[in-house]
Amino acid sequence: MMSLRSLKHVLLGAVAVTLSFYSGMALADSAPGTQADTRPELIKRGEYLFRAADCAACHVAPKGGSLTGGRSFVLPFGTVFAVNITPDKQTGIGNYTDAEWLKMLREGVGRGGKHLYPVMPYTAYTLLSDADALAIKAYLFSVAPENAPAPQNRLHFPFNQRWGMIVWNWLNNPNKRFQPDTAQSEQWNRGAYLTEALGHCSQCHTPRTITYGLSSKAYAGAVQVGWRAYNLTSDKQHGLGAWTDEQLTSYLSTGKASGKGAASGPMAEAVEHGLRYMTQADIAAMVTYLRSLPPIAEGPVAQAMPPEADHALSDVARRGQGLFAQACAGCHLPDGRGRQSEWAALAGAHSVSDPAADNLVQVLRNGTALETGQGRVFMPGFSKAYTEEELAAIASYVLAHFGNTQTDIKPSAFKN
Amino acid sequence: MRFDLKINSVLREVDVPPDMPVLWVLRDILGLTGTKYGCGVAQCGACTVHLDGQPVRACLLTVAAAAGHDILTIEAVEHTETGAKVQQAWLDEEVIQCGYCQSGQIMAATALLQQTPQPTDADIDEAMAGNICRCGTYVRIRKAIHKAASHDA
Repeated sequence: MMSLRSLKHVLLGAVAVTLSFYSGMALADSAPGTQADTRPELIKRGEYLFRAADCAACHVAPKGGSLTGGRSFVLPFGTVFAVNITPDKQTGIGNYTDAEWLKMLREGVGRGGKHLYPVMPYTAYTLLSDADALAIKAYLFSVAPENAPAPQNRLHFPFNQRWGMIVWNWLNNPNKRFQPDTAQSEQWNRGAYLTEALGHCSQCHTPRTITYGLSSKAYAGAVQVGWRAYNLTSDKQHGLGAWTDEQLTSYLSTGKASGKGAASGPMAEAVEHGLRYMTQADIAAMVTYLRSLPPIAEGPVAQAMPPEADHALSDVARRGQGLFAQACAGCHLPDGRGRQSEWAALAGAHSVSDPAADNLVQVLRNGTALETGQGRVFMPGFSKAYTEEELAAIASYVLAHFGNTQTDIKPSAFKN
Repeated sequence: MRFDLKINSVLREVDVPPDMPVLWVLRDILGLTGTKYGCGVAQCGACTVHLDGQPVRACLLTVAAAAGHDILTIEAVEHTETGAKVQQAWLDEEVIQCGYCQSGQIMAATALLQQTPQPTDADIDEAMAGNICRCGTYVRIRKAIHKAASHDA
């Protein structure tokens, strides 16, 4: 009874606070916009931080090019669309004052008191320093404004009630700036800031609680929008413990690592829009920080390619073997090294020893792409040319042959 | 930049950007047009050449990566024992229809037979999977590879 009553108090309080927010809205709208800070060195720094914060991965228009948003995020509670972050005054961020910007980025409360949904990673950006957050704003105000209203979010009740986020924020957003750990090196702290605040890696790689907040199992891996973000902890089997510094550095800055496969799906986007622009010093700092994550033995085990894999193929996998030779081996090669491209290498990739095959199914169905220093590398989706049974057979063969994982993937995994 | 390329046992010096694909060097600079341009993204196999005996796609092989290695093209494959057998089998079986992909097919088949002198159908499928023929000569290609292999026996 006590807990119910206190919950009621929280909710009533929430309504009251919301009302006060909305009454403040008229004032905010009539307030004059601040002059954009146009110092070139600030804009340049802001651009780097904008990359490090990976803003473009979500806010770039689905057809590419400008930062006008429009990309949809299908979540358990409905569909949310990325907004226009060009400095357009009607449909973009053109009216934001510095104070409003900081409140939006770090507290999840937009102009006029409108609550953001935590698809926008403000629980990570809350760690940003004032200077960095405002440098990003300065950069965004330097790009050409474009008029492009975002599509309406489609959320189920009660999630369509934005005021509900007040409760969520109270539970899930610490609203604290990054505090360096003086017991750790400067490099570790830089890496922590890049990983936690800017890179917001935890938003995909840490499992979520029942209220969609981040759980205490930091970086144990999680499934987001149908893709598995793998365990990043220092566990040797489940996480990154068996990776060399060189492999981690290469993966972060190019999206591929010798003997560990390549980034695909959302991670490829993170590399394409953010990580590949980072300095080697910053990548090294991230590696140092990631190395220090306490091991958690959860999620699929990453397995090396077995030397004599094909003895124990199931009937399904054997069918997949023939299909792989025809449709896949041309680029990936039967030995999994990738034809003249480490981005096509399969041997050692975490995704080919995940018995749930989340990412394998995604890539086979929808394909994946990554802009690199050597041009665009991509794999097309195969669901138009092959049946669900055939794709399941290919996935089963890939798991057995490259990942030493004997499991028959069901055709239903490829149903739309 | 200057590069020394060993092409068909002859040392050729070229002055080109380091990221220029070997296919461009072969066709546009050295006039060796037997190697064909198909897709430009290593998906079709038409530009297959040998780099130290391995079949590679010349369209994605940069000059910088190829310098110092042995490059063998369709123009000289007849000088290898296996290559000569493959070409004879191709003639015997009348494999070719339009011919555009066939220099790549012959280079891939030669590399296969050099590494696996008696290939099974599965070996052939695997090795030839990345070489596309829109005329659909696959059945004759397989037959010719078996024929070239039987010359060894």
